[in-house]
Amino acid sequence: MNARNITLIAKKELRGLSAEKTIIFAILLQVFIAMFSSFLMVGLTAMYDPEALESYSTITYGVGYAGSDSPLIGEFEKRDDLILHRMDLPAALAALRERKISAVIYVPDTPPDAEEPITVTLYLIQNDLQSGVINVKIKEVLQGYERELREIRADRMTAFPVGLNFPESRGGENFFEFVYGLLIPLLVFLPAIVSAALIIDLITEEYQRRTLETLMSTPVTFAEMIWGKIVACEVLVPIQAGAWLLLLGLNGIEVDNAAAILLHASAGGLFLILLGALVGLHYRERTSAQFIFSTALVVVFLFVMAAPYNPLNLIVRLAVDTADPVHWLILALVAGTTALLGWVMTVYARKIERMAPVT
Amino acid sequence: MHMLSSIRTIAVWEMKRSMTTMGRNVLPLAAGLLILLVLVTTFAAQSGVHMQDGIYHIGVDDLDTARIILPDTRFTVYIDSGSALWTNRFAYDVVILQGEVYAADTDKGRAALKTLERSYQGYVSRVAAEEPDLFAAYPLWIDLEYVKSEIDFLATQGGQQVGAPADAREPPVPSGPVEAVTLPPSAMPVSEDDLREHLAGSVGDHPLSRYTGITSGDPVMDRFRTPAELSAPLPFDAIVLVFVFIFPLYFTSQFYMMSIMNERVGRAGEALLATPVSPVAIVVGKALPYFAVMLLISAAITFAIGAPLSILLPLVPVILFFLANALIIGMASRSFKELSFVSIFFSTIATSYLFFPTVFANTHVISIISPLTLVVLDIQGDGFTAAQYVYSTTLFFATALVLFYGGIMNFREERLFSEKPLLSRLIDFISAGIRRDHPYLSLFLLSVFTIPFVFMVQMMVLVLFFNIPMPLSLVLLVVSAAFVEEFAKSIGLYAVAQTRPAFLTPKTLLIGAVAIGFGFLIGEKLLLFATLAQITESIFGNVLFLSLQVLWMPLLLHITGVLIIGGFLLVLGRRAYGPGLIAATVVHSLYNLYFLAGALL
Repeated sequence: MNARNITLIAKKELRGLSAEKTIIFAILLQVFIAMFSSFLMVGLTAMYDPEALESYSTITYGVGYAGSDSPLIGEFEKRDDLILHRMDLPAALAALRERKISAVIYVPDTPPDAEEPITVTLYLIQNDLQSGVINVKIKEVLQGYERELREIRADRMTAFPVGLNFPESRGGENFFEFVYGLLIPLLVFLPAIVSAALIIDLITEEYQRRTLETLMSTPVTFAEMIWGKIVACEVLVPIQAGAWLLLLGLNGIEVDNAAAILLHASAGGLFLILLGALVGLHYRERTSAQFIFSTALVVVFLFVMAAPYNPLNLIVRLAVDTADPVHWLILALVAGTTALLGWVMTVYARKIERMAPVT
Repeated sequence: MHMLSSIRTIAVWEMKRSMTTMGRNVLPLAAGLLILLVLVTTFAAQSGVHMQDGIYHIGVDDLDTARIILPDTRFTVYIDSGSALWTNRFAYDVVILQGEVYAADTDKGRAALKTLERSYQGYVSRVAAEEPDLFAAYPLWIDLEYVKSEIDFLATQGGQQVGAPADAREPPVPSGPVEAVTLPPSAMPVSEDDLREHLAGSVGDHPLSRYTGITSGDPVMDRFRTPAELSAPLPFDAIVLVFVFIFPLYFTSQFYMMSIMNERVGRAGEALLATPVSPVAIVVGKALPYFAVMLLISAAITFAIGAPLSILLPLVPVILFFLANALIIGMASRSFKELSFVSIFFSTIATSYLFFPTVFANTHVISIISPLTLVVLDIQGDGFTAAQYVYSTTLFFATALVLFYGGIMNFREERLFSEKPLLSRLIDFISAGIRRDHPYLSLFLLSVFTIPFVFMVQMMVLVLFFNIPMPLSLVLLVVSAAFVEEFAKSIGLYAVAQTRPAFLTPKTLLIGAVAIGFGFLIGEKLLLFATLAQITESIFGNVLFLSLQVLWMPLLLHITGVLIIGGFLLVLGRRAYGPGLIAATVVHSLYNLYFLAGALL
């Protein structure tokens, strides 16, 4: 193994990447996604946690109330963002359909202390963002009513939960859990996946274009050439992941321990790249190699996510600064496994070179 | 007949070839990976997802309370004496002292508090579900009913707000007819045992769990919830299903892309091109097996989720569109890595075009520009009309056809095996469509063919700007629409200037510009009348398709735009293309704004 030869190959590959403007496509992609970021933020956060929608609305909503009187009216009066209109059910539903009110609630004449439950009917507009907001608001009202009813029926209960007193909610549900618990680990690991797919392209291309002969006529050995390609792909991982962290920072999302996160991403990335290199060397044909690799990727990721203290989880913990020093141990473990895989890869590459001298 | 039989031959050959290469080496390992996948899935199901473990630190002074929190792995729980917790309170996100919860006044503290509150609610529900008298613990049940309401696309224009304001103290009166409704029954139609079972299964779950059970679930049971279970109706639920369809389709189209690329690598396809089989037969024959496989996959997924088979209809144009793009990318990429990046880039854009409009399914007419909205509607049981089908799929059919045509025209030796970079290859592809004997007719046809793409881009822009406040969104729309149109019109001219510089003279430019202008106008009208009547009625439509009323004015505008860019190319050379494009865009935007202002005043 000659470090100079490896660097030589790595530089050649990186030059090839920038000459083909592939890097530009990668950047365009990042910018394109960032362009939609506000849309994605709202949309994806709402998918993760619909109650986050509540903070987007500042207007008051009209709610139609039909049926018999109940303490629920009192609960509604406590809210200043919901205005209750007493209406007939048919008229209320027609108004809802025309979007003159945002929800309709129908209350039957069951007394609060009855044996049977009180079944309230809530009418909302189907598949609508606004319904999401109104739903959250009405939920809070109904929960208040439920507490009231539970007190009325308390003598029929037998067990009582440990009581906790929560402070008044200061509102403004934020993206915290979604951004730090899901978005950041995914974005940070995305470049690793891209690089791993890239190494397959680089290796299979040499085989399918039969360009190996020319490369092998130079003093560079086969293993050195493969390692050169691996280095070129690996270099891109922390650069791209760092760019994501920077973009997040520009959007006002602070990430702690960025250096440690990049270390984890690079170690995990190298593991995936080596895996890709092995698959590429085995198949020497892009279609099969990419197919097998993407299937293997799903298996690896599922396995990793199901394990406690996995690198993705550590990235989350590092980003919110709750990681214990144990993450260095895990990093060492990942690095050790990667080194082992690297050794296997080198042995395999040398074997290929001996078995069928490419020259 | 001859054509059909050669298509068949190619299709069979393609199937055999991919079967042998894939079969011998890939299938054993793929089978092994599949077994591993099953094993890992069971492991993951048992162990749970550990992505967000330990993101919050919580300090508790009492063991019973700690026991409530421990099952939620998002919390790392520290048990200590009250006074010690209080002195170190800044080390924790949440501290619980004698039943009182204190949270740090940070984003993280608030998020921790919210998570803790939900966890606690789950615990309370579990305790309550054990009660012998269920209706004492759960006295209130909500029956959720959904009402359909479609916003008129013209509503915003008429000044009506989408979310009705509720400033008025008196109840609103519906303007339309009031239908009679049967009052909901006051008795609970579901048995107590069923409710109990339902409660035990659903309480205190992780936010992500809602997506795992989307396709299952008992509809009657689902209607009744306790207040705590009332979660926002997701406008996006069906979209998860949409992704279930799109990813396998995209994945399979990759194989077609690779099959085309493989013909080019090392001139492997030379022998095939030397046979008397026409390029049409090669391209179509190779695509056929993949088309069939994609259709089968979609059918299988449809069957698996129990959706009606009619959702395959809107998927057909999507499949064709993916295949057509796979063909062009496979033909144009210079290397594997370029292939990878371009196809990832393309898939992102295509997915956004398909995905974003569906968010507004049921809300805006505009959502129907994506065929996937039809899928969503169909899964909901609403179905779609033939007119809606034409409206949302025409662009996909048209672009797929044009791309296939372009691919077939260029499926020749000198194009497939050239080593030029991506952009100049694409320019070659385009200039191949401009014939030396009929250059003006070719330019005319080319600009007719660009129309579907222009519309697609403009539709995307429309969706993008739809939620921006009114005056700004209009200006942005005007400028971007003008830019896209000028760009599309000038492609042919630029390709000619690039490949045959001698062609461009003042005289040819003038005739060429007239041909392009005519072609653009005619293509625009054809597509407009066929599909977009609904959108053109609104003010947004006016911006995009302003030229419907008077015909000679837009014709003159289109010709002028081409002349401006052509003039830049002629006088200053090819490097002046950018400035020329900007100049033409400015003129075009000013024209549009002038007419728009006239229409508004």
